[in-house]
Amino acid sequence: MSRDIHAWLAELEDIPGTRVFTAARARQGYHLNQFAMSLMTPENRMRWLADERGYLAEWQLTPDQADAVLARDYNRLLDLGGNIYFLAKIFSTDGLSFLQAVGSMSGMAPEDYQAMMIAGGRSPQGLRSRKAGT
Amino acid sequence: MARLTAGIASSHIPALGVAIDLGKRGEPYWDAALKGYDWTRDWEAAARPDVVILVYNDHATAFDMKIIPTFAIGCGDRFAPADEGWGPRPVPVVEGHPGLAWHIAQCLILDEFDMTIINDMPVDHGLTVPLSLMFGQPVAWPCKVVPLAVNVVTYPPPTGNRCWLLGEAIARAVASFPDDLNVQIWGTGGMSHQLQGPRAGLINRAWDTRFLDDLTADPQRLRHIPHIEYLRETGSEGIEMVMWLIMRGALGAVRELHRHYHVPASNTAVGHIVLEVLP
Repeated sequence: MSRDIHAWLAELEDIPGTRVFTAARARQGYHLNQFAMSLMTPENRMRWLADERGYLAEWQLTPDQADAVLARDYNRLLDLGGNIYFLAKIFSTDGLSFLQAVGSMSGMAPEDYQAMMIAGGRSPQGLRSRKAGT
Repeated sequence: MARLTAGIASSHIPALGVAIDLGKRGEPYWDAALKGYDWTRDWEAAARPDVVILVYNDHATAFDMKIIPTFAIGCGDRFAPADEGWGPRPVPVVEGHPGLAWHIAQCLILDEFDMTIINDMPVDHGLTVPLSLMFGQPVAWPCKVVPLAVNVVTYPPPTGNRCWLLGEAIARAVASFPDDLNVQIWGTGGMSHQLQGPRAGLINRAWDTRFLDDLTADPQRLRHIPHIEYLRETGSEGIEMVMWLIMRGALGAVRELHRHYHVPASNTAVGHIVLEVLP
């Protein structure tokens, strides 16, 4: 392989406001993501909604991960190894759409986020690279 | 013999499926995103493919973190629309083509692409939304489907060049299948979107437009775009566009028949193109 895996991985961490779902995050978030996946069945969704803490106790989440799930702190969950398509099981169970949940991670009010999207979305200008500032 | 006649690329945004299922076409927001597919539905009614090889990604539906196949091919008789957390979409069951699928699987493995073979899996919006966009709301889908699932969730996804080469190998496999079949290949996902973090909502119309242009003007450039460029320029989920290169790699010389680009549908830039294989 001609590619330097360490340089390749380092570049993935250079993008502002973004957590690329690398192997390290996949390892860190394995139980968190599998917990979220369990919400794919109606029975589990009912049990979860009836007793969130009790349900979480059945999974090997770290205390930080469990707190972030209970707080629905999605940016924190991304930092702790959560992947958006798995976290979607949690916010879908709460009745949130992708537009609402994703918008909330941007720190913007829902109507401001929606207005930005309708106006053409967020420009990549200045958000491509931390190092280069481009 | 089986022959590849056309390629289609399209976003597979779940909200477009919901808009179709709930009859929201009358709303200007959804009409703007969906109307670019009207041309294609008419064209497909005349093109009448027997089989579509449908390249898509699973979104934590059939595959969770237990097993992560890079390239998986659906060889079963049928694939049920998945319950993604709010009940299955009200769309027909997807009929497979096990004969062609197993033929392609064997050819690809002998061609040194080590495929994962799937006999039984539910299919999520990544596969069913493009069917709805291209065929509308029939009681049964008008063709068989060979699902080809690509990992673009856990890094690293396959490189664009690897996807292109897989497409070339699929074309060779189709050409050696003895039945007389009209086959299309669809690449789905994209275009620019980021569904996470403070940079959520990123859209890059200029980059997307050049990508659409170069599917005909300079496809060789596209196969060498590195992962980091998709991430920086098109958002973390823009990486799905490597799946378009499986479609493009399978086609050889083409001409563009139709395209549609619209921002936004939900968080995403809708991109769609129809390519006809030149004889």
